[in-house]
Amino acid sequence: MAFDRRKRNDGPEGALSSLADEELMTLVARGEARAFETIYERHCGVAFSLAYRMCGTRSLAEDVAQEAFLSIWRSGARYDRARGSVRTWVLGIVHNRAIDALRRTVVHERRRASDEGIEERFEARERTDVEAARREEAETIKGMLDALPEEQSRVIELAYFGGFTQSEIAAMLDAPIGTVKGRMRLGLEKLRGQLAPQGAIP
Amino acid sequence: MIGNETNGHARYGDDVAPWLLGALPDEEREAFERHLAGCGRCREEVSTLRPAVEALPLAATPVPPPPALRTRIMGSVASEAELLQAAGESADRPPRDRRRRPLFEWLRPGLAAGLAAAAVAVGALGYLIGEGTEPSARSVAADVTFGHASATVRTKGDQAELRLTGMPAPPPGKVYEVWLEHDGQMPRPAGALFLVRSGAVTIPGGLKGASRVLVTAEPSGGSLVPTSRPVIVADTA
Repeated sequence: MAFDRRKRNDGPEGALSSLADEELMTLVARGEARAFETIYERHCGVAFSLAYRMCGTRSLAEDVAQEAFLSIWRSGARYDRARGSVRTWVLGIVHNRAIDALRRTVVHERRRASDEGIEERFEARERTDVEAARREEAETIKGMLDALPEEQSRVIELAYFGGFTQSEIAAMLDAPIGTVKGRMRLGLEKLRGQLAPQGAIP
Repeated sequence: MIGNETNGHARYGDDVAPWLLGALPDEEREAFERHLAGCGRCREEVSTLRPAVEALPLAATPVPPPPALRTRIMGSVASEAELLQAAGESADRPPRDRRRRPLFEWLRPGLAAGLAAAAVAVGALGYLIGEGTEPSARSVAADVTFGHASATVRTKGDQAELRLTGMPAPPPGKVYEVWLEHDGQMPRPAGALFLVRSGAVTIPGGLKGASRVLVTAEPSGGSLVPTSRPVIVADTA
């Protein structure tokens, strides 16, 4: 079904785009489709990138992103601004959906995106300022992850992007669960320390 | 008691990082969340480490989402927004008592129960016979609002049922109601109300060519038009 803009009386195109995410979510909770569309426009890029990084295939990433955004639309009333930004909330939902999808998949069928392939395709696109800024942000945070001791970045990546449970990770690395938990904590503490001074916390 | 909190913390304190990273299996996650609700130390640690985890998704290499994704998502959103609007408008019109009239009020209670039992029996029989050669079954996975629930619409010939796992209980005083939607029209009651959280719900008379099956929470007794956002949506076209 076509999305009919004329049915809405939100005024000129610019009216919604000047609203903050939090204000838009109030409209989404009342069932305003155009407010939701603006939220989608602002966050679909980073949401899809996360889904793709976790799922490793375009089709699964699309399913996960679609499921996540529709659940955001249907549960808009549950956004609580006291608990963080809309972007963080959206990404949290995408992350949960992707983990569910990965855990439904048999372990040996799991494929993760190799970052190199994407790099090339992205390079070939004509870059806008927004894309360039996003790319720079991604590079910065990736750099911080890479700066962690390998054993720490490994467990964080397996858990967060791989969707593996702590016991699966322990088995994979042939390490006690307590050690895995400890590496996760140390890694996150260091990452937190790196973020703070540069004000890079989103 | 301080002693209890310390004991609990000794047991759960190490779970902060794995919990933030989503690495706890469901059971342990729930146990940790119960502990977290009452442990100031863990909550403090969560708020210290959370920004690190919130930065992680931004490390994913940017990949532009396909335009078709937006078309699909906004297609569903637009039709649900219309549905919601229509429900809001018609909900204003009839007097309150009429609007809340149960779907099967005109049936004597005994007859209603008899029909329901017959529907279940037919459904079960159809299921057993159908396992053989004809007609072939078709399953469509539905979108469910609740993260840990899933739903499937299963059809075989003109039989249809909704299979559920892990649905939360409906809000107090409400039941779940199944709706059939034919391309762009207002959804009509499918004649199925349910409270079950897992199991199969028969859709009496099948899908009758509906393009979507919806489930909403409604006042007990059911409604004639949906009065809340769908929690389950299955595209059966």
